[in-house]
Amino acid sequence: MATVTNWIDHLNKPAEEVAGAIYPGAGSSEGLLVILAIIIWIGWHVLTAKSESDELERLARKRHGPNDHKSNITDW
Amino acid sequence: MTDQLGALTTIFTEFYYWITVVLMFLIHVGFCMYEVGASRYKHHQHTLMKNTMLIPLVTVTWFLFGWWIYWAFPTGPGIAPSIMNESTALITDETLFSAMWQVPTSDIMAVNLGDHINGVFWAAFLLFSWTAASIVSGAIIERITTFAFGILAIAIGSVFWTIDAAWGWHFDGWMLKILGYHDAYASGVIHAIAGGFALGVLMVLGPRIGKFSSSGEPRNIGPRNPWLVTIGLFLIYTGFWGFYAACNIPIFDLGPEYGMEGISYWTATNIYVTPTTLSGITFNFLMSLSGGLLAGYWIAKGDPFWTYSSGLAGIICASAGNDLYHPIQSMIIGMIGVVLSYKLHYWVERKFKIDDAVGAVAVHGYAGFIGLVICGFVLNGYPSSGYSVGAMWDGTTYASINPLGMFLGAIIMFFVLGLIPGYIIAKVLHGMGKLRIPREAEIAGLDYEMMETAKSDEKAVASATR
Repeated sequence: MATVTNWIDHLNKPAEEVAGAIYPGAGSSEGLLVILAIIIWIGWHVLTAKSESDELERLARKRHGPNDHKSNITDW
Repeated sequence: MTDQLGALTTIFTEFYYWITVVLMFLIHVGFCMYEVGASRYKHHQHTLMKNTMLIPLVTVTWFLFGWWIYWAFPTGPGIAPSIMNESTALITDETLFSAMWQVPTSDIMAVNLGDHINGVFWAAFLLFSWTAASIVSGAIIERITTFAFGILAIAIGSVFWTIDAAWGWHFDGWMLKILGYHDAYASGVIHAIAGGFALGVLMVLGPRIGKFSSSGEPRNIGPRNPWLVTIGLFLIYTGFWGFYAACNIPIFDLGPEYGMEGISYWTATNIYVTPTTLSGITFNFLMSLSGGLLAGYWIAKGDPFWTYSSGLAGIICASAGNDLYHPIQSMIIGMIGVVLSYKLHYWVERKFKIDDAVGAVAVHGYAGFIGLVICGFVLNGYPSSGYSVGAMWDGTTYASINPLGMFLGAIIMFFVLGLIPGYIIAKVLHGMGKLRIPREAEIAGLDYEMMETAKSDEKAVASATR
């Protein structure tokens, strides 16, 4: 994975080779990383959308009044 | 980088944009404080979370496709040819400023010893994206679902504002060439579009319960914490300095850029690569802020909420031409923008029953729109670009700034890319039953369960003996 293993050797290369990407997996892993990001992205939306819907439904069922929250204001 | 002067210029530019990003972060801190200050106690934490979560939502999509759109769309596509490759297609060829390099698999979208600018420039634009989404966030507090807001934030932050930036805030943008559009510090490309988008969403979302009486009279749901609102707005002012700086290129040699043989002219430029100075825009920033505050204090009869917001509206209104205005012009333009925006806000509220909880549509949308229109008259005849000067509608050259072009530009920003997409997306979310929280949850307060848990924790701790 390491793109650079020795800085002295790396900086001794021709200038056009020095000026390039130095992250792990440069040139071989980018596509995979993007796919991973998209999966995480979609998964996050699905999970949080479901949890928000559940929370709102639960709260709506209890039918609290507009001032009921005042009894829950903490002093700490 | 092998010569010291070249390295100094590059690293100065890199550091310059990096600092603007840090300063602009304060805009988001300010928006969070402002929204929490304006919302009611029972909605505080959800309001805060909604605005906080737009950070990752917009950032990741900006990395995946938002930045690509900015570099791909200056031609429309199909409206005016690029000056780089003379094609009207999307700019995805191998030219230097092509979108081809701005995809998430590109090696300059990461740590790269051959590039010191892309990441900081990407981040500066990203912070503009957060601002666009945050503007919408304030208007719709206390009744939208976080899911719906996330979708809307991505739409405005990573799609529609970046399209308008490609069209009207890019040296190669078709709106400069065809219309003579000029918007140096984003009256339209950030503020008018975000305000218009917010209005489109509000039209579908509806008002907060209790905002209007049965006879349709609006009721004031005032800011719960004026201090938080005050500090929030002062932080937004502070972050705005970074915003202005980020709209400039700090050091650039315009001689070779414009093809002037043997001429070297180093200067700061605006986003269109035409000369301005950081010093000059500092005059104008402060004078337009002052104009806004003066007019706001007067028209709102000293109301703090509107006076602070008016400072912001003053800057926003003058921003389109603040690279060239005289400071007193900036001040007067800021004042005009504030008076008209304030009046429009209350007229729209009464006439159409629109509940804009923080006045975001007025401060950003109306002030931005008005600023663009005024800019067309005050800067009439200035070149919209340094590359060439031509006629309106030609497309192969750059039209001069003019009132008609700026008015059409304002329509495109506020309505075409703002209000209409906001309305359509909100309609779709509403159709899915995902836009608005249930009525009972709104009455109880979004934080009800959190507060209930905290109260029971408090009781348990208070009754503990060890």
